[in-house]
Amino acid sequence: MGANGLGIDVTGLSKTFVSGRRAKRRVVEAVRDISLQVEAGERLAYIGPNGAGKSTSIKILTGILHASAGDVRVLGLVPWKERRQLARRIGTLFGQRSQLWFELTPHQSFRMLAAIHRIDKADAAARVAELAELLDAGDLFDEPVRTLSLGQRMRCELAACMLHRPDILFLDEPTIGLDLLAKQLFRDLLVRVNEERGTTIFLTSHDVADVEQVAQRVVVVNHGSVIYDDSVAAMRRTLLATKIIDVGLLNGADALALEGVTVLKHTANGAKLVVDTTAQSVRHVLDVVLEVWPVSDISVVDPPLEDVIAEIYGAPRA
Amino acid sequence: MRGFLATLRAAGAEAFANRRSFWIQVSSMVVNDLGWVAFWVIFYNRVGSVRGWDADRTLLLLAVFATSAGLVLGLFANVRWIGQMAADGGLDAVLSLPVAPLSHLLVRRISSVNVGDIMFGLVLFAVTGTPTPTRTAIYLVGVVASSTLLVGFLLATQSLAFFAGRGETGEMGFNAILLLANYPADMFTGMQKLVVFTAVPAAFVSAVPARLVDEFDPLRAVEMLGAAAGFAALGWAVFTIGLRRYSSGSVWTQA
Amino acid sequence: MSWFATAVRTGARQMYASWPALVVSAFFYLVVVTAVTTLWRAGAAANDGHVAGYTATMLTWYLATSEASILGLSFRMIEEVGDDIASGSVATELLRPVSVLGIRIATEIGRAVARLSVLVPAGAALCLVTVGPPPHPAGLLLAVPAVLLALTTNMLLQHAVAGMSFWIRDARSGWFLYQKLVFILGGMLVPLEVLPAALRHVAEVLPFAAVAYVPARLASGHVEPELLAVQLGWSVVTGVVASLVFAAGERRLQVVGG
Repeated sequence: MGANGLGIDVTGLSKTFVSGRRAKRRVVEAVRDISLQVEAGERLAYIGPNGAGKSTSIKILTGILHASAGDVRVLGLVPWKERRQLARRIGTLFGQRSQLWFELTPHQSFRMLAAIHRIDKADAAARVAELAELLDAGDLFDEPVRTLSLGQRMRCELAACMLHRPDILFLDEPTIGLDLLAKQLFRDLLVRVNEERGTTIFLTSHDVADVEQVAQRVVVVNHGSVIYDDSVAAMRRTLLATKIIDVGLLNGADALALEGVTVLKHTANGAKLVVDTTAQSVRHVLDVVLEVWPVSDISVVDPPLEDVIAEIYGAPRA
Repeated sequence: MRGFLATLRAAGAEAFANRRSFWIQVSSMVVNDLGWVAFWVIFYNRVGSVRGWDADRTLLLLAVFATSAGLVLGLFANVRWIGQMAADGGLDAVLSLPVAPLSHLLVRRISSVNVGDIMFGLVLFAVTGTPTPTRTAIYLVGVVASSTLLVGFLLATQSLAFFAGRGETGEMGFNAILLLANYPADMFTGMQKLVVFTAVPAAFVSAVPARLVDEFDPLRAVEMLGAAAGFAALGWAVFTIGLRRYSSGSVWTQA
Repeated sequence: MSWFATAVRTGARQMYASWPALVVSAFFYLVVVTAVTTLWRAGAAANDGHVAGYTATMLTWYLATSEASILGLSFRMIEEVGDDIASGSVATELLRPVSVLGIRIATEIGRAVARLSVLVPAGAALCLVTVGPPPHPAGLLLAVPAVLLALTTNMLLQHAVAGMSFWIRDARSGWFLYQKLVFILGGMLVPLEVLPAALRHVAEVLPFAAVAYVPARLASGHVEPELLAVQLGWSVVTGVVASLVFAAGERRLQVVGG
């Protein structure tokens, strides 16, 4: 942990790539002036469109790349300067790259990783057993990796990067390519890992559901800068001042016109209304609908997170 | 150290995992090497001897080269791919582990097909090399020196990919040294001879150690060891500096 | 037949597009030819200036041509085609309304032409600079169609061997053995006249000689047009065999699955 108790402490991080020579010289500011503090035990999603600088940021945080400017401390260490020391205390799971050996069983890979992390054999065996239980993967550890499905493999990869009991887990697009069920399972595991072990989760993703189901806090980056940083709940609440009312109807109903209400859909069986909460109170709309329509079912929901984030992405560059 | 050995062991297990494939690869290489033996026997049968080299000494050259190349390309298989890994971001995985990148990379992969070379070289020496204790000792030291030099050379040429291009220089260096090491260096003259003793030190990979087994000469032996140490140092240096560059991201914008 | 021409053009364009690979292979070619011709010239010098009737000049042109004939093709072709069969790529190619083998050969011809366009000038330059022109330049003229026939025969033969992959998974590893057979029995590393008599007789009845020896022999200054007839014969035979193997293999795919 850093001197101030922070897991991750970033101030003014910038990263510039220079490529080509003379006439074809290109300067790309992949990351510009990012500041971010993450405390122990947080679950954070670091999201943004392609080219936003997510992968670059996570590579800097894990010590693979060094920063062009700014101050970065992970667990009190400067990642690219104290890379090996840091590697003993963090775990990394990059969606496209495997830690496990293809022809071997996960167990065999764990044995090698245990040796690299200097975990003695008895201890390693105990940890593998714990992980098998935590991640529900006991039956997978003795099958060659090449015979496992992608979802099964990702669970084993997760075990591999947790073997040395890291304080922070960095995951770069971990659910890419997984089917719905496997994604769900993996997200549940991440939450479990965080809740039972207190491991900080730092996750980059394209998938909004990763944000919804795993993260407590979301940081949105675009064009290399942070454009939003708050809890997921707050994001939903403050950013889009709308609520959606889903109404089930017993039989047909007349059209409804209310200020601040847009009727998205209206059939004989139901309707979907979007309420602009700055112009109209949801309570009032509910009262009116219940009075005027033959309602069989009614529910009030937040707008989908996708819409919220799309709106953030679309915000003009600061 | 424990991590290093564990990685080596895992690499071996991985290469051996498919038994059938392993033995087929090994046999293919043995057939390949036998082809070379056939060639030299036919050649010298017609030609007699060339600049002090005859069939026996050339088979000695083959024995050194096969074992040495087998060790390098078989056990330290990744050394051949560093250029490509630099170009496509493949080094990230090794940077995520608490290990010294070079040693881990080198033992991370074992190539079955080249393991066949090691066995072939040793057997060839035993059968045709007149293995007296002295000759065997020189042979083994020669193999170690040759492998060291080869690793250093390949590392250096492959690591140029950190600085420019997508690994073509590495490819060319790899091909050049392995092609030229098949031949008795003394047959070259002038400029070519200079090249095989310096820039592309194929002579030190095969011809020089082979000749030392036949006619030991302390001066040549020192030259041999010096060249091996020199190229090892060069390879290590270029890789280390290159890795720093990788870490600054300048290599990557092709990825 | 326009699909054939298109495939040839595509193959060539593909090679030119990845020109760094062409540069590497030209480099490889020049290093090999330099080494091997130096060796044989040294051998000739140690042997009264000739080996089995070949002077140093002839040997140089011989080896430059034999190497070009072989390096004009990807030397791991058997492995590559074998992998394509094993991975199911060939199965998807069956969906096209033209012969699978036909398209593959056409594409390979295109690639070969691209490679030769680099290797031939390089080789010719190397020979002229080191030893000057061959004794009977008419041989060079004959060598041109010979090289093309050699490449065609080579590709057909390799496809026939690789076609075993429809049945045997490990046929792909055969490329090593094939290369060695070509090196010795095909006359690539050693002019056939140098081989001991028994081996030479065997080499004369095998198709490998058509793949390297014939163009090399012609280019080295021996005007023997009957060799072209031999090549033509072999190209027809290998063509038939390859077609039969692929036809049988395709039938098997349709029955057994990819």
